[in-house]
Amino acid sequence: MRLLFILGEIGSGLRRNLSMVISVVLVTFVSLTFVGAAGMLQMQINQMKGYWYDKVQVAVFLCNDGSTAVGCASGPATKEQQANLQAMLESPAVKQYINDFQFESQAEAYTHFKEQFSNSPIVDSVSEDQLPASFRINMKNPEKYQIISETFSSQPGVETVSDQRQVLERIFSWMNGASVAAMGVAVVMIFCAVLLITTTIRLSAFSRRRETGIMRLVGASKTVIQLPFILEGVIAAVVGAVLASVTLWLMAHFWLNGDLSTQFLNTPFISSTQVLVIAPVLIALGAGLAGISSLLTLRRYLKV
Amino acid sequence: MIRFENVTKVYEQNARPALDSVSLEINRGEFTFLVGASGSGKSTFLRLILKEDKASSGSVYVAGQNVANISSWRVPKLRRGIGVVFQDFRLLPQKNVFANVAFAMQVIGKSRSIIRETVPEVLKTVGLEGKERRMPHELSGGEQQRVAIARAVVNRPGILLADEPTGNLDPITSMGIMGVLDKINQNGTTVVMATHDDDIVNEMRRRVVELKNGKVIRDEAKALYTSMIPVVGESRRLRDASGEELNRAQGAQL
Ligand SMILES: Nc1ncnc2c1ncn2[C@@H]1O[C@H](COP(=O)(O)OP(=O)(O)O)[C@@H](O)[C@H]1O
Ligand SMILES: [Mg+2]
Repeated sequence: MRLLFILGEIGSGLRRNLSMVISVVLVTFVSLTFVGAAGMLQMQINQMKGYWYDKVQVAVFLCNDGSTAVGCASGPATKEQQANLQAMLESPAVKQYINDFQFESQAEAYTHFKEQFSNSPIVDSVSEDQLPASFRINMKNPEKYQIISETFSSQPGVETVSDQRQVLERIFSWMNGASVAAMGVAVVMIFCAVLLITTTIRLSAFSRRRETGIMRLVGASKTVIQLPFILEGVIAAVVGAVLASVTLWLMAHFWLNGDLSTQFLNTPFISSTQVLVIAPVLIALGAGLAGISSLLTLRRYLKV
Repeated sequence: MIRFENVTKVYEQNARPALDSVSLEINRGEFTFLVGASGSGKSTFLRLILKEDKASSGSVYVAGQNVANISSWRVPKLRRGIGVVFQDFRLLPQKNVFANVAFAMQVIGKSRSIIRETVPEVLKTVGLEGKERRMPHELSGGEQQRVAIARAVVNRPGILLADEPTGNLDPITSMGIMGVLDKINQNGTTVVMATHDDDIVNEMRRRVVELKNGKVIRDEAKALYTSMIPVVGESRRLRDASGEELNRAQGAQL
């Protein structure tokens, strides 16, 4: 009976305050979408780190026909230069820093390139000798990149030494920045959501002060009096959270794993199922925020 | 049933107390009028019984229990034992008569079958048989007050507090309401009614407690609105006027 009664009260409260309730739904929707987007970016960063960090290496690129670097003044790297570099890599001084290394010839580089950009027209405009051969070095400790770089970049026949990890770090820091920005927007939006929930509950309590006054007088418990209001806020926020989750899922499903994954074949995107991990967090966050702000509002504006 | 021991209530630090060391006992089953000019502290007296307000000093006992010792989560239980009606009825305009009365039972978790059984009985007691489906705006003032009384007593409280229940009603309708309150009192409910309607008090001949500036100045059984001991020169108009006006008028007499 009491449950039915409370449900009825919630229903009438939601109906009576429909426009406010809709705005609470929308604001929590937007704010939690930003929270979720920030979370997704972090997940994406972790995923890429996990995927790339074992694979990325320091690459010592050898001079080819088109090289313009100082060390390449004498033209493409010769067989001797290459042998010399290999000897250096095998010398104890360098060996202590690396796990292993591989030589990637121009032909292999071309094969990899074709694989990577298989569905891009760029493949047709690049020929084998435009791509440099390279030593791919797998570091014991990627932080020691500097040592390798200093040792090899001044060697004859070396065009450049590149730390692929650094390139990735740049991407990650960019993604991290985006995630922080999303979180910043989320915080502002959550603040708006809390204010809006507070106002909505206050209005709702005001518009039903007659009922609550009578409930108080006839001895209804605090729970029976307050619960409909609190649940009103919580339900609106949960609907917003569900909308946010659905939006994020759609984004992951149709954008990350649709468009983007065909454009960036080598990038490991988070799957839409992984995004579902975020959904309960968003729902709990929405419900928690709404519950707490409703409770605090009622404590001030609804005498019991 | 209700006992005040030296109860003082001060709302604002510098103002005179709304109640000033009031000591009073109201027994089970009694019908008591609380009379006095507006601002004399009648509503405050009733609010203290309900624990709507806290006494500044002294103790209020309801059914043997000091209300100051009732924890906030048990206050609803206290209030279930007390029915209240007001001058302005306080009905829910979008609920019909039946639903208004049923509301008081729903919110304390009474089952649907008990509600269906009890509400018509109570509506019969207050003389509203057959008007279950009417909306409040389709009722006269007297009928609306009867709905409010039905709602106040539907959970069978031991005490009924009425704060100027006839304040908005004409004399004949008021007498009808008094009949209902009397009937409820006959059934064993302790009734405390604040009023400044002298005709009603004179008609009923019940206990009268008179407040003036927060002090009990008279407590008489089977009494009239005004004391039997006449106050020289006090006119009917002044009795109905506010306390201050009364004071000013009395000052002018001197
Ligand atoms: N909530 C309140 N805050 C401050 N003063 C109040 C409050 N309620 C009543 N008072 C004051 O207490 C006195 C008694 O008021 P009240 O009990 O309402 O008298 P009555 O019901 O007899 O008209 C009055 O002077 C009134 O102004
Ligand atoms: Mg009053």
